[in-house]
Amino acid sequence: MLWLSTMLSALLIGSADKTSAKQAVNSIPDYLEFKIPAGWPKPATDIFAKNRLSEQGFQLGKKLFYDGRLSKDGNFPCASCHQQFAAFASYEHDFSHGFDNSFTTRNAPGLFNLAWMTKLHWDGGINHIEVQPLSPITAPNEMAATLDSVLYKLKKDTAYPKLFKAAFGTAEINSQRMLKALAQFTGSIVSSNSKYDKVQRGEATFTYSEQNGYTLFKAKCAACHKEPLFTDNSFRNTGLAVNPFLKDYGRMRITNDPNDSLKFRVPSLRNVKLTFPYSHDGRFYSLGAMIDHYRTGIITTQPNVDPLLVNRIAISNTEKNDLIYFLNTLTDTTMTRNPRFAQ
Amino acid sequence: MMKNKLISIPVFLFYFLPISGHQNKDTTNENTGIVKISFVNTIKGKPVELNTARYINPFAEEYSVSKLKYYISHVSLAFNTGIIKEDESYHLVDESKADALSFSFAVKAGTYHSLSFMLGVDSLKNVSGAQTGALDPLNDMFWTWNSGYIMAKLEGSSPQSKVVNNKVEFHIGGFCGVDNVLKNISLNFPSALNIPEGKTGEIIVEADIDKWWQQPNDIKITEHPVCTTPGALAKKIADNYSKMFTIKKVITN
Repeated sequence: MLWLSTMLSALLIGSADKTSAKQAVNSIPDYLEFKIPAGWPKPATDIFAKNRLSEQGFQLGKKLFYDGRLSKDGNFPCASCHQQFAAFASYEHDFSHGFDNSFTTRNAPGLFNLAWMTKLHWDGGINHIEVQPLSPITAPNEMAATLDSVLYKLKKDTAYPKLFKAAFGTAEINSQRMLKALAQFTGSIVSSNSKYDKVQRGEATFTYSEQNGYTLFKAKCAACHKEPLFTDNSFRNTGLAVNPFLKDYGRMRITNDPNDSLKFRVPSLRNVKLTFPYSHDGRFYSLGAMIDHYRTGIITTQPNVDPLLVNRIAISNTEKNDLIYFLNTLTDTTMTRNPRFAQ
Repeated sequence: MMKNKLISIPVFLFYFLPISGHQNKDTTNENTGIVKISFVNTIKGKPVELNTARYINPFAEEYSVSKLKYYISHVSLAFNTGIIKEDESYHLVDESKADALSFSFAVKAGTYHSLSFMLGVDSLKNVSGAQTGALDPLNDMFWTWNSGYIMAKLEGSSPQSKVVNNKVEFHIGGFCGVDNVLKNISLNFPSALNIPEGKTGEIIVEADIDKWWQQPNDIKITEHPVCTTPGALAKKIADNYSKMFTIKKVITN
């Protein structure tokens, strides 16, 4: 009996070995290198250090990003609020639409250069790109699903097991793999080919107005909207009145620190022409209105108003126009029209 | 018929492989045994009955328990001259699941005198992205709006609670700075635990859930039926529940 079982197990192990060897050959993904644009700082942490970027992982992440089945009723893929032509923000919407005719409570930010972001969301509540999708997937006013139900749908699908195997070596579908694949897609979206970038590389020149705007920008805006990412990744109170409906106090909700009252993320200004309306609740519908807030709208009596803004920012009408000309040079159609990021 | 056959093959393999693994270990490593750590959640000395039982807390407030879960991590056992640490040591104790009330791992055969663990999930794992196993967000112990693990969860209801459906809901978390609720627990055994080679030593840990309400901090349901964010209240509750563990007994099987 022992002899028989030894024989049988040897046989089984033998065949199992062969199968796994074959699987291994088939399922090593094509690893990719994440390229940092010339002259840019290295990201503070490498988001791909424990999630090795591969072509198959990226493609799986892209399919998930555009798949409505990640939402409760199938109508709200990630891409419903994050539209490529709007630099992956919600075009022309202060709040995005969620499940059952609901609104989100904050303006959907563009998704690009996420690899350089240390915290995500307007309040910085998300500490890692991989765990961010848990928030919109489960929020009742966004995708309104449960993680359980999403994984159930993916497992029942005929294509996904193969795609998970191609990306991760085996067909197992779990939350960790789904989240890592999404991070491979969203983390790979880099915006670094705007006219501004071309000027920096000596491939283009600013017009007279754009150059004036850039000079002004460096003098009056770049302390927070720091080049080349056009954000310093900090949270600041820009003297906005509290939205009476939302009563959103921003970062204080995360830190419980009254000093963080009404502080919100300094957003990147890359692709800013496409990501209107502006601010955490989308209250400013144009760049002009946003700039006017800094010129005349800041409530300087609010506690915690950023020290750089307590005297508002002096910008003349001509300067304002030039500034808008400059900000329009931050639009990167190479990214917004790149078929690699498209459905 | 066919289905039965298919099932019998993996079961058979499973049976066979660990034996060969064990033999390998014996020839190359020190003698090993198994330690099994079991958690018994009690109120007033009796195992918790979810949903049905009515309990009275130290402030004469009535409550029931519908959910009780907590993370046990970084488990180690001490012997006279050192400690043994479990690798990748993350466990979710869940009162609603019979198989989530104990766990086992291999240890060097010997005599042990205390158990240590962290109540919660260390800060590094809170900031390192998507995890799996006990730390899978599917376990409903991860905050989606303020990244971080819920270290311990107690849900139920009480007539003294004035929130919707008389809910009592404690989701206790926070891993950094002033909001840190992580607790290192160390428990001496009432008598030494001998784990001979090839045998299992069992440690039965009792968790007295009534401790959540007081010592050192009074938590009255009328005042605090809900705590679902990191902060001062969460820290007070964590200070209380950090004192809920005792070793009921240790047994050599």
